[in-house]
Parts: sequence; structure tokens; C-alpha cells
Amino acid sequence: MPVITIDHLKYKYPGTDRLALDDISLTIEKGEFIGIVGRNGAGKSTLSQAIIGLVPQFYKGAYGGKVLVNGVQADTCPVAEMCEKVGLVFQNPFNQLSGASETVYGEVAFGLQNLGIPAEEMKQRIEKVMKWLDIWEYKDRNPFNLSGGQMQRVAIASVLVMQPEVIILDEPTSQLDPEGSEQVFHVVDQLTEAGFTVIMVEQKMEKIAKYCNRVILMNQGKVVDFDTPEKIFSRDDLEDFGVTPPVFTKACRKYGLKRPDGTYPVVLEEAVSSFREGGKQVETVIRQKELTKSETVFTLENLDFAYDTTKIFQKLNLLLDRKATAIVGQNGAGKTTLVRLMKGLLKPGAGKIWFGTEDISGKTVAMLADKVGYVFQNPDDQIFKYNVLEEVMYGPLNIGMSEEEAKEKSLKALELMGLKGKENHNPYDLELNERKMIAIASILAMDTDVVILDEPTIAQDYPGRQLIGHMIQVLSEEGKLVIAILHDMDFVEEYFERVIIMSRGKILFDGHVEDAFSQDAILKEACLKKPYYTELAESI
Amino acid sequence: MGKIFKTKFTVATIVLIPACIGINYLGKLIASVLKLPLWLDSIGTCIGACLGGPIIGAICGALNNLIYGLTTGDNITLIYALTSLGIGLVVGILARLGFMETFLKALVCAVGGGLIAVVISTPLNVIFWGGTTGNVWGDALFALTQANGLPVWLGSFLDEVVVDVPDKLITIVVVYYILKGIPKKLTALYDVNAEVERLD
Amino acid sequence: MSSFSLYVDKGTWLHKLHPYTKLLYILVAIVIPIIGGNLYFFLITIGISLGLLICGRTLRRALPLVAFSFTLIAVIFLVQGLFYHDNETVLFQLWKLTFYKEGVLYATRIGGNILNMLLSFAVFVLCTSPQELVEELEKSGFSPKFGYIINSVFQIIPQMMKSKNTIMDAQRSRGMETEGSVMVRVKAFFPMISPVVMSSLVNTRERAIALEVRGFGRKNPKSYLSERTKYVGDRIAVLVLIMILAAVIAWRVVTCL
Repeated sequence: MPVITIDHLKYKYPGTDRLALDDISLTIEKGEFIGIVGRNGAGKSTLSQAIIGLVPQFYKGAYGGKVLVNGVQADTCPVAEMCEKVGLVFQNPFNQLSGASETVYGEVAFGLQNLGIPAEEMKQRIEKVMKWLDIWEYKDRNPFNLSGGQMQRVAIASVLVMQPEVIILDEPTSQLDPEGSEQVFHVVDQLTEAGFTVIMVEQKMEKIAKYCNRVILMNQGKVVDFDTPEKIFSRDDLEDFGVTPPVFTKACRKYGLKRPDGTYPVVLEEAVSSFREGGKQVETVIRQKELTKSETVFTLENLDFAYDTTKIFQKLNLLLDRKATAIVGQNGAGKTTLVRLMKGLLKPGAGKIWFGTEDISGKTVAMLADKVGYVFQNPDDQIFKYNVLEEVMYGPLNIGMSEEEAKEKSLKALELMGLKGKENHNPYDLELNERKMIAIASILAMDTDVVILDEPTIAQDYPGRQLIGHMIQVLSEEGKLVIAILHDMDFVEEYFERVIIMSRGKILFDGHVEDAFSQDAILKEACLKKPYYTELAESI
Repeated sequence: MGKIFKTKFTVATIVLIPACIGINYLGKLIASVLKLPLWLDSIGTCIGACLGGPIIGAICGALNNLIYGLTTGDNITLIYALTSLGIGLVVGILARLGFMETFLKALVCAVGGGLIAVVISTPLNVIFWGGTTGNVWGDALFALTQANGLPVWLGSFLDEVVVDVPDKLITIVVVYYILKGIPKKLTALYDVNAEVERLD
Repeated sequence: MSSFSLYVDKGTWLHKLHPYTKLLYILVAIVIPIIGGNLYFFLITIGISLGLLICGRTLRRALPLVAFSFTLIAVIFLVQGLFYHDNETVLFQLWKLTFYKEGVLYATRIGGNILNMLLSFAVFVLCTSPQELVEELEKSGFSPKFGYIINSVFQIIPQMMKSKNTIMDAQRSRGMETEGSVMVRVKAFFPMISPVVMSSLVNTRERAIALEVRGFGRKNPKSYLSERTKYVGDRIAVLVLIMILAAVIAWRVVTCL
């Protein structure tokens, strides 16, 4: 008997006309690992929330059809009871903390307390799960002071102690740094081994391919296909649904290396053996190996910086010219501190920062507003207008552009970020990924010489990543300096020329992207993972 | 009348309350960072009242002062829990009656909130501190009235009017503009009349 | 800053007392001067509170609270000393200002009241863990929903304060001025408060989901990790408090006779 049966499920959010879920029927068996893929807004999260009953009970709106979990109807069984059967973990590690406890231990206990589990049993369950997920050592820490990866593991533990049969992971690593992601995926390994039924929404297709028995491909609220990863990723029309196959599949397709059933390999190991059997080699992407020389934009000279007593930089030196530059490294490596110094949001303790020939170490943020643009990570920290165009025009008007000029630049920036036609929407009616594009556009419209992006690819699907990549190319061609802090190495490999690897306030590597990913020792020290393509090429 | 006070204690509304208390706090903090001569410490209470209704508004207001009073040891705040409760309640009632729908109506709502604050605070001021409010401009006015031999309650009333009405006016204007743009997907969580509609 | 509360566990007997015992202390401390009717009773209760704060090793943490109230008390002395409606007897003159005895006495009463309440609250606030208070309240039948609200405020506000700094940086990066004329500063208020509200509403929705999937709001009774061990100090403290209260009442009755 299937664990989950979905029968002609339809759903509409309140105040909208479009069906977010449109006539979905499928069944999931016990012990299966199911992936859900599709572009942003395809209905992936909505579908996973319908399984636990948040849709429709929490959001209201209009609902049709039926979802059964072990025979229990999800739209009528209160979520607070369904949570004993289905556990849900979602993107933002911060918002998953209940806020009810000062300690990690208490946080994990919260759900059990609500279920009314006796103290002795609670303690046993908590200890078992926390030790299993390797977070026992944090039990007395304040959960809000943990790193993202640690927080997300606490969130998973909090759900696991309630002993659900099905676990839904809704993009659990999309907001984590590479090390945090690896920690969480290690937990996913453990869940698979323990035989849980897992449903995972994920944008990293390599991960979907690695874990899933079957994959649900969604588009516009409909299930397009529900099949094995090999079949799904071998579809010719995959990119029409905003999904790109794993790097391994793409490479095999390029050389026509098919599996016996006519599909392409989706995981590294299989791709490598196909290449070996086929006697093929992957060609490395041909790029200009020599870094193009151009004038210096930023010069950081013997820079010292400390937060109170914690020293971040000591005698840091760095030159930045007009090449698109990616800054990578763990959280806490000093990446954000570095760009904030260049933006004037922080003042150096000692040393100088030259912008061209001008010393800016004493300048305020407002004075630099028209020279250096900085896109913050979370768009919701800046959006305050209820009209996309007005929001984007706020910055340009502040730095003294005329109304016409501001409007012209804003429209151009919005078009570049794929928001043409949405100028008069309310930003809060759009999804987070589109709000992120608005935030980027609002900086681009200021037409600054330098554009700094903090984690631009978070929450973006494949089309979104391509838009951002294209924007970086356009700006570089215009002769602007683009600096981005990134956790997504595949994106770095595809769109950046220069890479700076940082760890604990030091620059470990600064040079060409290809050289960066062949530095095994440095990558290891900075806890970075190689891009999948490099991994494949090296394995062959 | 029952409909005006209808309240749902769902998880969403419960979580709304601490968020509103936080917004109150940040409103006050931002006003002081920008050195504005206003308190602006009831924005959250008014948002709670507009989204969740008068009861939620009243709870936001009262708990706001109780929690700050009990944690920061500032018992001066504690006493005004009653005032905050009144603001939440009145703004909530007016919002349910449709007084947040247009800008002009929102101004009526602001005056209502300001007046209730004055009416409740004045006796508290007189009982606890003999009529002063702790606000420089208001207290200067109070001192003036007392010097001219006006009754304490009148002086204290004027003291409060000068302090509270402009403050609540700005507060409600801010709340009005913020709420105007909130998408339905967010407000539906707090809508007491929202039901799941069937599609089959 | 990880916590919003002023509580620090110093492990003294005052910290070990049940929250209710300390609440009883506040009640007794406020009631004594009212029953006693004499200004000197303020001296006694304020003295006891100060003594307790020393016992709890938190006197230094209480000082900022007292300092904060001094402006208010100073204003009261000024306004009432000069303009109190029953003012008759001149007490002293300072430059051109005449202070009257009645007003100053009235102000002393108010000031005493403020300090007394402030310090007795400080005894409670500085030596009681909010989480412990909430847990005890819940065990006495208080709704866990209200308990959650109180607990989460302490966790959420420090997070919101961090986001305030980010928002300010983000808007300043777009050329917003935060200093200058009143108009400039007023203009900056909305771009700062609006993202605060919107992002907290978005976060609120996610947090509500997180709570739902952890069984929050179920009808069955909640369970707790630990039972509170009975502390002898509580009984003694309650007994002493009741005796003091009784003594004051007796004194008042006797003096009135």
C-alpha cells in the first residue's frame, strides 16, 4: 500500500486566479526517495505543503481532490496531528527555529513537549537523534547563534524526534554555504540508509540524481512527468520547464554516451565509466588563460580590520581591476567584511583603500552611493515601495539623477533582470526570486562603476541563474567591475574569470578560475567543493 | 457587534503577536536613531489590530508593555499597558469598521487611537506621577498650566494631547501605507472569515 | 547579543527562589508603604530591595534602571515643587524659583513610589529566568500559546535588531541620508520601517509553519522536560514576607487606635 496517495489535487492561493496545483494524481511507496524539480513557481513547495496539510488548512484558498497519508486525509487532519506522520524542513534555517527556547536541546524538545511525550522518553529520543545527527555537542548553545548548516541540522533533528514516516525537505541547502550544504547532505545520506520515505525539492540536479528513485517534474502546477532520474534528465524538452540536467548527463549527451535503455547516465560514477568504455575525453572549456590586463579599480593597502576585539584582517593587500571577480570561502572567512569595507559600510582600523586614485577609507556610504553599488542578500531588507519601477528608481533619484534619466536606467535594468512587463506590479505579489531580481535591478539602475553582489544565486532556479550570469557578462562588457560573493562553485566556473579564495581573514588564492579549482589543498583548507564539471573531467 | 470582535487564535495569529511587539520596539529604535521627536512605538500594535482584529490588537498592546516592563525592569512602561491595550482595541475596532480603507478614513482612525491614549493615560499620569509624562514638550506645557493655576487633570490632559495625538497620527499614516501593499497571500492568514473553498 | 532579557544566572539563593515567591515580594513591597501610610516605609522597602539586589549580586546591573528613572523624578520635583496646587509653605528658593514644602513632599511620595516599584521589580527581573517563569506559569494552567509569545519575544527581538542594521545599510547604499534636517530624517523613517514590517510578516508566516509542523497548538496537555525540585528557601521566604506584611498591618492598626 502506498504511503501517499494524491488524487486529482487542485489548489488556488487566496486572492489569485491561477491554479497553483492543477489536477495532480500520483502515489508514493514506502521507503522511496522522491525528488521534485521544476522552475520557481511551478508548484513544488505547494505540493509538498499539501502533503502535510498546510495547504489548504494554513493558507486557506480553494482546494479540490484528495491527499491521503497512510489513509489519513491531509486537508482535514489538523497539521499539529499530521506532523507525527510527515515532517517538513524548509529553506530558511532561521525561521524554522521555534523561538521558544534558549538552548538547542530545548529547541529539539519543543515538538515532543507539544505532543505530550513523557519526560523520560523525550530525553531518550532527543539524545538519540542529536547524537545521530552529530549535534549533541551544541545542546547548550543558543540555537540562534549557530551557523546555517548547524541550524538546519537542528531543524531536521527537531522534526526527526517526532518520528514521522515521511520527511519532506524543501530546498534544505539553498541558503547554506558549501560546508553547511555538505553537512546537511550528509544527513540526507543517513536518512536514505535508515530507509525513511523522503521527498526532496532541490535545484541542484546532481543531488537529485544521486538520491532519488523517482523524480516529479512540475510545470505551472501540473505534473509533467514522474519517472526515474535517468528518464527525466534524458528528456529533450527539459529546459522548457526551467530545469537543466546534471552536468554529467549533459556531458554524456554531448558525446552520445547512452545507457542500454536509451537514457543518459545521471551520476558521476556512471558517467565516468561510460566515458571510459566509450574511450572519450571531456574537453576542458577553452578560455583565455592569461588574465586580461586592465586598469586598477580598487587597491587595498595593508588593511587591518577588527570587530571589537576579533581581528578579521591583518595587513591585507589586494588589487582589483575590471575582471568579473568571485570571492569564495566559508561563512566567517571575511568575504562580506571585505566587500563592506570597499563599500564604505565599515571603516578599516588601519591601512588604505584606494578607489582609482582616490582614498576612500574615510568616505561615508552616501558619498560612495553613486560609485559603488551593493546588492544585499535579502531583497526584503530593502524593498519598501509597492510598485516595482518606483522601487528601482529610489536609488537613482537619491544620487541626483533626473526623473527621466532614472526612469530610463530603471527600465533598462529591469529588462536585463527579466522583469519587463512587471514594472507596475507590487513587489510583494511576486516571488522571492523575482524580488531578488528587483533588488539587483535597483542597484544596476544607479549605473555605478562597481557592482557588488552578495550571494546573488540564492533561491534562483536555472533560468534565474542564467539571467544573473548574463547580467554579469553584460556589465563586464560595459567595462564595469563586478564582484560577487558566491557559494555556488558551478556558477563561479561558468561566469567568472578571476577567483579569490578566502579563509579566516586570509586570501589563500587569487587568480584564474581554472587554476583555482585545481588547487586541491587550498580548496580543502577553505572547505570548498569542486564544480561538478571539474570533478567529472578529473575523474576521467 | 460580535463580528467586530471575532478573533481566531490560530498559530499564525499567535506568532503575529511577538512580531508586532518586535515591530513596536524597532519603530521606537529607528525613531531614536533618526532623532525624531516622536515615540512611534505602537506601529506593531496597530498592525496587529488591523490584521488580527481588536482583541489581537489589545493583546499586542498590553503584552508589549508587560513584557518590556517585566524584562527591562522599566515599570514606568508597565503602567501604560492599559493605554496600549486601549490603542490596540480602538484601532482594531475602527479598522474592522472600515476606517483603514482610505487615507482620510485612516486619519479618523488615528485621531481615535490618539484620543483613547490620552483618555487612559491622563488618570494614570495624575495617579502615579502627579500629572507629568516624561516628554519635554508635554511637561513644559503641563508646568505652564500649573503655574497658571489650572486643575491638574486639565494640565495633564493637555500634556498628553500634545504628546500622543501627533504621535498616533504619524503611526497610523505609516501603518496605512504599509498595509496598503501587503499581498492577499499574507493577510489571508489572519482573516477570520477565510474558509477553504472547494474546487470539486 | 543573544538575549534581550536582563537575567543572568548568578546561582544565588535569590535566583533559586520560585518566580512566584519573587512576585509575592513585589506585591508586599508595593503594598507596605500604602498600608503604612508613612513616607519612612519607602525607606524600609527600598532598603530591603537594595539589600536583596546585593544578595543576588546584581546591584550593579540595577543601577542603569535607577539612573533612567532619575530624569522623571527630577521633572516631578521641579514641576510639583514649583506648581503643586496646594503649595503654601515656602521651603527654599533657588535663583528665581520658589520651592514649596507641600509640593516637595508630594513629589517625594511619587519619587519614593517610583523607586520602590523599580527596585522591587528589579529584584524579580534580574534574578528570574523568563523561561522559568513561563514554564511555571504554564504548569499552573496558563495557556502555552501565551507562554510561547513571551518566550519568543526574547528570541525574536535581538534578531530583528540585527535586521534593522542590515536594512539601514541597504538603504544607505542606495543613497538614503540618515542625518541632516528634520525633513531628511523623517523621509528616512518609512524606507526603514517598511522593510522591517514586511520582512517580519514574511518571517512570521514561515515561523508559523515551523510551529505547526512541530505540533504547536494541539489540544492535548503539553509535557515538560523537568519537574522543579522543591526549594526550602521558598517556604521560608513566603513565611517571612507574610510576617512582615502582618507586622505592618498591625502597626498601622495600633497607630490608628
